[in-house]
Amino acid sequence: MARGDAEFVEFVHAASGRLAHAAYLMTGDHHQAEDATQTALVRTYASWSRVRRDDPYAYTRRVLVNHIVDNWRRPIREYPTDELPQQRRGDVADEVTARRWLQAALGTLTARERAIVVLRYLFDLPEAQVARELDVSLGTVKSTSSRALEKLRQALGEQPRPPGGRVASTPGGR
Amino acid sequence: MNDTDRLRAALRASEPEGRGRFDVDTIMREGRRRRHRRRAVRGAVVVLSVAVVAAGVLAVLRRPVSIDPAAVPAPQVTVTVGTPTAGPPASAEPTATEPPGKPPIGEVVATGLRYGADEMVFYFVPVSVPGAPEVTIGLVAGRRTPDGELVAEYLANDVEGSDRRPGFHQIGYEPSTEPLPADPVPTFGYFVGPAVRIVGRVGKVSVPAKLARWSEDPDVVIFWFPPQSLSPGQRLDGILAWDAQDRRL
Repeated sequence: MARGDAEFVEFVHAASGRLAHAAYLMTGDHHQAEDATQTALVRTYASWSRVRRDDPYAYTRRVLVNHIVDNWRRPIREYPTDELPQQRRGDVADEVTARRWLQAALGTLTARERAIVVLRYLFDLPEAQVARELDVSLGTVKSTSSRALEKLRQALGEQPRPPGGRVASTPGGR
Repeated sequence: MNDTDRLRAALRASEPEGRGRFDVDTIMREGRRRRHRRRAVRGAVVVLSVAVVAAGVLAVLRRPVSIDPAAVPAPQVTVTVGTPTAGPPASAEPTATEPPGKPPIGEVVATGLRYGADEMVFYFVPVSVPGAPEVTIGLVAGRRTPDGELVAEYLANDVEGSDRRPGFHQIGYEPSTEPLPADPVPTFGYFVGPAVRIVGRVGKVSVPAKLARWSEDPDVVIFWFPPQSLSPGQRLDGILAWDAQDRRL
């Protein structure tokens, strides 16, 4: 196997888990998420000789997010009570409740709002980088992020048990 | 823990542990197909791009300029790179080989554009196009690695007529339908004639190109638009060339 291919295999093993999770948060559907992640990885490999020297993770993330936003279909709200986490963290019932809450809350957002929430709060990207990756203005990121958080706050208000069993009182800022 | 911290925690709480569950072999196989398809399509895209550029120039100036629309070939492409024998008949479904691994013809043109340790370069390679015996060269946009290796990224070549026909030839663009990579190929092409200045136009904005003469034929002028002045993938509405006496060619 060529060195570049070996690097790509390593990259897929290291990065695909979080990318697929991000895709799931953005689509709310496991199958769509896997399809989108695989598409992004295929595109990355097609350009591997060019992107491997820079930041392949950022490239794949950008392809993934834009692919999902561009191909947005309102997701089926999925409450995966039959799919328990692979590694048990705390009480399973709480975990399932948390996942239900999260998907219900994210389901109130538009594709772009979801993408911005995921890029900001899953990947911890600064707003300026989110703007670059989505090819929108910084102002759009700020306003969309604020709107998304407000929606999440409202969704949170309708849910008695957010993760951790506590109800957040405000959407918070950054 | 504030609200955004809780949101972060919630987003991560359901993240699966362990490695991804993707079939890397399938991904790589599809990626190779996509790469080959993209290179083939790029050949077709540049043909169509010249038609668009020609139409744009004609619409603005209302008279023929350096691009002869009659010479714009039909978008039926079969490109066989570096193969001296005739390939399969031309078809609407383009095919192409891997990017040229053949040695360049003439000198490699350095651009000064750097992508990490690599430098963007242009060079001609031999091509063979079925049904177009006068097309023998194609222009490659590629990279030169620090150890001197040339890595082809993009090949633009004529698919009809003669590769030395006076005027503009195929223009290479980054596909506009895909996210740009971190090291996008600048828009590039070549002109046959005594051009000393080439200017592209996007809307009302004029963008000067960088020029370099080909070592093997001084009538062949390689040009490219630095990414700082023309975003790669941005389609030109027109392109013009002038000679040393400032006459439009």
